[in-house]
Amino acid sequence: MTPLPFDPLASGPLLAGAVVATAASLWLLLPNGRDTSSARWLGTLLGLGALAAFILAGRRLGGVGEEAVFLIVSLVAVVSAAATIVSRSPVYAAIWFALTLAGVAGVLLVLGAQFLGVATIVVYAGAILVMFLFVLMLAQPAGLAPYDRVSNEPFLSALAGAVLLGVLSLSIGRLSAAPAPCCGVPSRATATPTAGTQPSSDVASESTTATVASSVAPAIDPLAENHVARLGGELFGRHLVAVEAAGVLLLVALIGAIAVVSRGEAAQAAAASPSAGRSAAR
Amino acid sequence: MQEFSPSTLLVLVPLLPLVGAILTVLLGRQLGAKAHLPAIAGIAGAAAVAVMLLAATARDVGPAHGVHAEPVRPVEMIATLWNWATFDSAYAPPAGSPAADPHLTPQDLAAGKDIRSFSIPVALRLDPLTATMLTIITCVGLLVAIYSTGYMHDDPGYPRFFALVAMFVFSMSMLVAASNFLLVYVFWEAVGACSYLLIGFWFTKPEAARAAKKAFLVNRVGDFGLAIAVFLLWMSYGTLDFHDTISPDGVIMPGIFGQTRLADAAGYVGGILGTAICLLLLLAACGKSAQLPLHVWLPDAMEGPTPASALIHAATMVTAGIYLITRSAPLFAACPGALTIVSIVGATTALVAALIGTVQNDLKRVLAYSTISQLGYMFASLGTGTLLGFTAAIFHLLTHACFKALLFLGAGSVMHSMGGVIDMRRFGGLRRVMPITAATFLVGSAALAGVAPFAGFFSKDEILAALHAKAWPAAHGDHHAAAAADGPFQLARFAAEASHSAGSAVGLDALDRPETWQILFWMSLITAGLTAFYTFRAVFMTFTGPTRVPEGAHGHGHGHDDGHGHDSHAGHAAHAGHGGHAGNAHESYESPWTMTLPLVILAVPSALVGWLLFTTNWLSHFLSATPSLTAPAVASTATPHMFHMNLAIQGTLAAAIGIVIAAIGHLGRRSDGPQMERFLGPLQTLFANKFYFDPIYSALVVRPLEGLALVAAMFDRYVVDGIVDSIAGIPVALGGIVRRSQSGLLQRYALAGVMGVLAIVVLLAWQLRG
Amino acid sequence: MNTMQSLPLLQNALTVGAILFSLGLIGILTRRNLIVMFLAAEMMLQGISVSLVAWSRYHGDWGGHVLVIFVLTVAACEAAVALVFVLQAFSRTGRLDSAAWQSLREATVGRTVDHELPSIDTVPPRFPTLTPAGILPAADENEPLQREHV
Repeated sequence: MTPLPFDPLASGPLLAGAVVATAASLWLLLPNGRDTSSARWLGTLLGLGALAAFILAGRRLGGVGEEAVFLIVSLVAVVSAAATIVSRSPVYAAIWFALTLAGVAGVLLVLGAQFLGVATIVVYAGAILVMFLFVLMLAQPAGLAPYDRVSNEPFLSALAGAVLLGVLSLSIGRLSAAPAPCCGVPSRATATPTAGTQPSSDVASESTTATVASSVAPAIDPLAENHVARLGGELFGRHLVAVEAAGVLLLVALIGAIAVVSRGEAAQAAAASPSAGRSAAR
Repeated sequence: MQEFSPSTLLVLVPLLPLVGAILTVLLGRQLGAKAHLPAIAGIAGAAAVAVMLLAATARDVGPAHGVHAEPVRPVEMIATLWNWATFDSAYAPPAGSPAADPHLTPQDLAAGKDIRSFSIPVALRLDPLTATMLTIITCVGLLVAIYSTGYMHDDPGYPRFFALVAMFVFSMSMLVAASNFLLVYVFWEAVGACSYLLIGFWFTKPEAARAAKKAFLVNRVGDFGLAIAVFLLWMSYGTLDFHDTISPDGVIMPGIFGQTRLADAAGYVGGILGTAICLLLLLAACGKSAQLPLHVWLPDAMEGPTPASALIHAATMVTAGIYLITRSAPLFAACPGALTIVSIVGATTALVAALIGTVQNDLKRVLAYSTISQLGYMFASLGTGTLLGFTAAIFHLLTHACFKALLFLGAGSVMHSMGGVIDMRRFGGLRRVMPITAATFLVGSAALAGVAPFAGFFSKDEILAALHAKAWPAAHGDHHAAAAADGPFQLARFAAEASHSAGSAVGLDALDRPETWQILFWMSLITAGLTAFYTFRAVFMTFTGPTRVPEGAHGHGHGHDDGHGHDSHAGHAAHAGHGGHAGNAHESYESPWTMTLPLVILAVPSALVGWLLFTTNWLSHFLSATPSLTAPAVASTATPHMFHMNLAIQGTLAAAIGIVIAAIGHLGRRSDGPQMERFLGPLQTLFANKFYFDPIYSALVVRPLEGLALVAAMFDRYVVDGIVDSIAGIPVALGGIVRRSQSGLLQRYALAGVMGVLAIVVLLAWQLRG
Repeated sequence: MNTMQSLPLLQNALTVGAILFSLGLIGILTRRNLIVMFLAAEMMLQGISVSLVAWSRYHGDWGGHVLVIFVLTVAACEAAVALVFVLQAFSRTGRLDSAAWQSLREATVGRTVDHELPSIDTVPPRFPTLTPAGILPAADENEPLQREHV
């Protein structure tokens, strides 16, 4: 893992330009009540420029195919994410968000998280997003609401977000400068006392010997066979209590949602007068 | 008596009323109408113990030896309870001062062997003076408390009243029993506080609240004097104890009135410092005993309940000043100028108060001015500085406590029956409907007026004798040639010392001349006549003439008939325009037995105690064993006990003239008719306005202070507050800038939070850069 | 240890996660529609998920995966509860506007209103047209077949 002689991620001018372009683009694109097409075009161009800057700043991956796949799915995710937040219509935003999810799922798959990639599609796109759309159908008034055509402090927010992005990118770029964090981790995994207690150690120790503490071999390989089975083993073995807690959390959320809905309806029935609605609106 | 040591008994005297007060406070609500029980039990116990102590002390003093007073051995007993607030190495007396130990050489003093610690021993003392005072306080207190059960019976503050009375008896007992100036000061304030609370007992009444405030503030002036006097005493004598103490290494530390210092003729500070101490003590006494500059609070204090007036403002508390000066007799003896001032203040007060009293129409105020006047008498007597003067003052204090308490309680009885009316013009002829009250009141009046052989006659005669002896020393010279040889020598020596010290003290001492005393004597004699006049004026207005009762008076309906013709009653009543109440004249307005019994009990000593004590000479002999009065400067002025016939004739003549004038003016007349005062012309205006003391004080003290307070208030409001407000305005203005950001919009808040986090993240990234 | 475990992949994936997170943050700060705010929040969660999985991949353990599963779970709970709240808010105000709730503002500060509200879009939406075919169904002309705008 030799650092590149030219480290584009850590190069200040490129990142600064990307940050400024991102901020300007989002400021132009976000709903501001004017809807001038020239601003949109300019914003789109700036956004593309920012995107290009980030692509330039990115590291070269190993294989060409791999890199292309990663580039495509991440572009899908990022572009549709930007489109999500700049869409005037919430329905469009939801649909763009679905596309974002698809891109994220692709990124996850490239990263070797097969189960998570599929789960993201299933849970988000299949359940949550559909629920959003249901809510939109219930609640969205006909036409474009005024509050969808304006934004809250677009300039400051875009600037803050872009600066955050710049700082994060700078930190990510500096990762290479740090002493390689990867090397010690597998050995720590076996050297720590907790390693022996984890149920997956049987699976993990297939390719290693327990006697070699300083082995460089990873404890797991996410891309190995039986990925889902091993994830399940990890989840329901070492993290069983957390899973139970999550189940309880789901139940509580379910009951809570029902309770809030019914109580809200009861309160509305009790109020039954337009003044209550007005006062609440104030 | 056999089981208890005198020191135990001495502690019991204040302790029992204190326990009674505390129990009354704690159980007052539960006891309800029986709330007087703990207080009365405590005071009764204290009275019994005080009488036992008096008897024990009298046994120690021994019997009087006929007419010739021999030097008596001082009798003193100290009970130290505990030491309070001890400080080591607090005081090193300068060499040559009276505080320095005469047994130590200057080398010792330089070596710091005389450095003393400062401590406040909570010590009670028993000597003849204290025993007498304790007996007066507890006995009068007991009778007043019994009387109060009738007088206050339906008052909502019933338990509070008795708690305060018991508390007062405790404080007063401690005041006279304390053997330390600081303790005296503490209980000086305590009786002042009790007085304040009792004057303001009906605090919802604005006049009562105002009177209480006035009494408290005027007393503060005197208390200030006492505080400064205590400081000066500490500076001068290095101790505040009355008695001698023996330090752990066997050295006798002389107390201010201890045997050691008393035996040393030069043991007391004279000159300008001594005079300052004495005048400050006099200021304190003037405050508490309502003497001339500070007397204005006492008449207003009559707004309190009548028993409280009788107890505190007639019989006991106001005598604290007399007690203090008697106790400090050696200090005063060293400063003849201060003594003369005492007499001048006293005689002037007596005359002025008597003059004011002649035109008062409020029965209680007549008695209040009478009290001031009689206290002035006592001060005049104290100021003579002779043993006769001191004992005469205490004698008059004793008799005055009896008959003034009697008179006040009688006035309270009248007021109680007349439905709270105390204006003498609104009732009259009450002797027919309140026979017991009338008879006892008459006894008290006779005692006050100095009618022989009632109590006041003898005590007043002794005071006049003391003044006369100073005014015309030659006339008395043959009686005490030896004493005269010694006494003037003493005085001359002190005067010489004083003249070495400073000029102002000499100026005061120059007052000590026979001419001054002659003037004072004649003032006192005139006062005696005036006393008789206003006393019997009150008696005639209240109890003689046509029977009239004010609206709202509550007859008890016992059908008690006084034996006089009904027709005349009815006729008088109808004639007075109270036809609707004509039937009431047949009813008895007499007070319940709990109120009349103390009247009867008090009437007995009012009538007899003067004669008893004078003929046996017991009291003066007894008192002369008080350590303070055995100081050479005082004891050397002892005169043989005798009855001064010429003085008695003069006093009786003055009283008779006063009574006759009062009878001419008021006997048998309607009390709301034209009065004597119309003959006084402009003087009547002067007297009725009380010599304009209140307006003068208001103009000289109150108004300037109010103006100053106004200036200070304005300064506070506009300058201090202005600065503070403008400083406070800075954050308000700054807040106004950021207040606009409080829009209530969630996303703006979120944005602000994000920007804050971002600032931290950027800072961290900057810190952690390569 | 294959090449996929390398640092560049981690960095690239983290960058994608950071972009998603930042965009979501901007969205939640700017958009007034409660639903869109919600979508933006989910987008931030997606950015986090990507980062977690990337780290998990880099370190070669399951921690990131497991954490993402819990993130999904919590997101589901959150969605259920929050959408109920959104419905309640809508039923009270008739709007999905986050600026409808301003009662926590300073008493002296006036209510924030949109001063320069844009007029209704003058550009009519264009829908794809198909070649007419078949018989025209009998329909009420007064009843709109579709919304003017979505």
